[in-house]
Amino acid sequence: MNYPIWDVTFGAGLLIALVAVCHVFVSHFAVGGGLFLVLTERRARRTNDAALLGWLKAHTKFFVLVTVVFGAISGVGIWFTIALISPTATSNLIHAYVWGWAIEWVFFFVEITAALLYLYGWDKLEARLHEWYGWIYFIAAFASMVIINGIITFMLTSGGWVKNHEFWTGFFNPTFYPSLAFRFAIALALAGVYALITASTQKEEALKARLVRWSARWIVPSLAVLPALGWWYVRKIPAEAWADARGPVPTATYFATMAVVLLAVTFALGLLTLVRPGRMPLAFSLLVALTAFGAMGSFEFVREAIRKPYVIANYLYANSMYSAKIPGDGGFSVDEVGASGILRAAKWTSRHDVAKGDEAAAGREIFRLECGSCHTANAYRGVRSYLAMRQWDRNKIQAMLGGLEMMHNGVMPPFAGTDEERAALAAYLSTIEPVSAEAAAAASDGETIYEQNCSMCHPRSASDPLFKNLPGDPTKAVNALKDLTSLFPLMPDLKFSEPQRTALVRRINEMRDAMRSGNGAQGGKGT
Amino acid sequence: MMQTDVIPAMDPNPLPAAYWVFKLLLIVTFELHIVAMNLMLGGGVLALAAKWRARNGGSGDRVSMDIAKMLPVFLPATVTLGIAPLLFVQVLYGQFFYSSSIIMAWPWFLVLVFLTIAYYGFYYVSYRSGRQGGKTGGVLLLSVALVVVIGFLFSNNLTLSQTPWRWPGKYFANPAGWNLNLTEATLVPRFLHFFIAAVAVGGLLLVFLALANWRRDKEYARQLLQFGGKAFMYATMAQFVAGILFLVSLPREIRMLYMGDSPLATTLLLVGVTGGIGAIFLMSDALRKENIRAAAYFVPGILAVVIVCMSIMRDVLRDAYLKASFHPGQFAVKTQWTVLPLFLALFVGGVILWLVMLKRYGLFGSKGASPGNPG
Repeated sequence: MNYPIWDVTFGAGLLIALVAVCHVFVSHFAVGGGLFLVLTERRARRTNDAALLGWLKAHTKFFVLVTVVFGAISGVGIWFTIALISPTATSNLIHAYVWGWAIEWVFFFVEITAALLYLYGWDKLEARLHEWYGWIYFIAAFASMVIINGIITFMLTSGGWVKNHEFWTGFFNPTFYPSLAFRFAIALALAGVYALITASTQKEEALKARLVRWSARWIVPSLAVLPALGWWYVRKIPAEAWADARGPVPTATYFATMAVVLLAVTFALGLLTLVRPGRMPLAFSLLVALTAFGAMGSFEFVREAIRKPYVIANYLYANSMYSAKIPGDGGFSVDEVGASGILRAAKWTSRHDVAKGDEAAAGREIFRLECGSCHTANAYRGVRSYLAMRQWDRNKIQAMLGGLEMMHNGVMPPFAGTDEERAALAAYLSTIEPVSAEAAAAASDGETIYEQNCSMCHPRSASDPLFKNLPGDPTKAVNALKDLTSLFPLMPDLKFSEPQRTALVRRINEMRDAMRSGNGAQGGKGT
Repeated sequence: MMQTDVIPAMDPNPLPAAYWVFKLLLIVTFELHIVAMNLMLGGGVLALAAKWRARNGGSGDRVSMDIAKMLPVFLPATVTLGIAPLLFVQVLYGQFFYSSSIIMAWPWFLVLVFLTIAYYGFYYVSYRSGRQGGKTGGVLLLSVALVVVIGFLFSNNLTLSQTPWRWPGKYFANPAGWNLNLTEATLVPRFLHFFIAAVAVGGLLLVFLALANWRRDKEYARQLLQFGGKAFMYATMAQFVAGILFLVSLPREIRMLYMGDSPLATTLLLVGVTGGIGAIFLMSDALRKENIRAAAYFVPGILAVVIVCMSIMRDVLRDAYLKASFHPGQFAVKTQWTVLPLFLALFVGGVILWLVMLKRYGLFGSKGASPGNPG
């Protein structure tokens, strides 16, 4: 809203994800692959293995074509893309970390030069000097990863930076070391994964067998330590953020599962390469690469998802609003926007108020300004399916928007705007998936009522206030649910009939019984 | 809508060093970037020209091949050296640059796609052209054409970033990011100014190649010197036309800065023009006398001064356009003393290491090897 918003039909978030996932799969190879090149060269020269050396020379060309070309351009690509979609976050990251980026640039420059000289030097340089270029490449590439890791982890766990705004406080944040170790292990594994590809194209069986075994020695141990490093990483992430991946946030939960499953599959495939290494086909190496790509992509999706509602933790929300008023925020903190109204605060809108009779059109603009960075109507993270599942009519949507920050473990920022704007947004959302008032009030069984109206903020957990505090006595409970806002001010002002309340209380008590008999508990950011 | 309504507010973080530090870094790194870009684009154009001459019965295949081998090095040099000015322009002019980029988001995003294709194209040409019968002309043409398009898109974005009053009209007409800045009067002259400069520097690249071959293969070196030197001369002459067009297309009050209103801008323009004329005469004389030293040392020396002048003039131009909405005084500054020295130390160390890497490779030696010989 401070910046113009780029309308990407299929979802701006998806575009960032595509560019980023492709980039990380190559950039980690660029780090691990660098060490692979020098250590393999050393090994080949020590053992006078001309065949291995010959393969490595060809592999270097592959390495450069993948990392120096695609890796470098897609890295700039992430920067281009986030600047187009999250300019406020980009601007903050540039100003707070410009010296970090500048240092990274120095490493990058050295890295690219060393990579090219290593490639072109195969036939020209004597062995030790050639290896020297390889080492410079690897060290510069690793240093480059250290810098980027510091800034990316800062976004996830900003630590004390929010208070002191000191460069190093944010850089050496709580997840800096575990993330660095985790990513370096991935980088080493990917060195082997990519090596399998060029190894599998070799015709001579004995050489191929040696290459595959050598590649597996990079893949298997690196992936074997990943669970331990992952555990360390997760422990450093605030529990309430990690809880997103344990159920309340479907995207985070799905990708966390996928990351684990695909990691296990890649590990198993890595071991399988050792069965008949001399005959491993190209298709098999590509399958390994594909599962590794899936695992890596899933991991990045989890990281992005659990960071929500923030783009920079405890500082800036994903929709470019500051989570608290700070000097110099330009009036774009949630509270300020809430007070003035988003249409009035936004610079880049053609509507500055909600015209009577034209609420839906104003609501559409509010959706664009406030929700568009993560959601579309029908495509990526489309709200239509969500609304259809919940069967909310316009009034219910309007009530629910008042407690956005409570939903799904607090994965969304609060709605920022006037009551009139909230009503307009509800008017628009109700046009995406029209639900009549009758249909919205039709549910009669307790489970459906709970799912449609309560579950988004109250997960099935003994520690959740609904399950903890609602009176056990059915009559008292049914009475308590008459006026929800008196229970807690952020509750939506929903009115249920007495039979509905009775059914809901019966269902809640059944769930409590099930919990007592052993179901797990979950926490939440918004509770 | 007033233009100031839409110019985004800066973020709350202060500048982590004095304004002039970033300004200096922006101008210096931009100059390095533009030289690398000129070598790539100008080299690419001249490789195409040489190929075309060869097809029409003239000599030139070897020239084309020799340049083509270097393009996969010049492109990453351009990108790598481009990252720094892209960073520093965002530090100082982020609110303008992000806005214009978003307004033309899809074309801007496509830069990445074009760049990737062009890059792989250059590699393809470089690998294939060493072999007999390699058909590389089409791929080279495609890659060079894409680089030209990228340059044009950069001109679009940078002119748009300094004309905020155009933003609302374009954005609200197409918020999906399918915009360019084609109605801007300075767009084409500005683009031509940069494009022609690239061809001139590409000519100098051939002169350098001539120097590298001067002892080994005089005949070939002469051919390179004549071709490169003439390309430089003709392009620099054409530059006077493009430059005048550019100057004329500027709004009057800005144009007058270069014509007396601003002593700095006027001096820079005079030095630039004099340098350009001097370089043409010097090159002409060098070609007639086959004086490779004059062509390969003195002309580039003059050109370096011209490029510095032009880069500062470019910066003066931006600040003149943004006069109403950009003032250095608007920045809060809080120098990050715990990081800045580290950057400076690493930067100096990096440059030294870089030079050592090139030296140990033999690039400064009498062997005169170029890194254009992939294994």
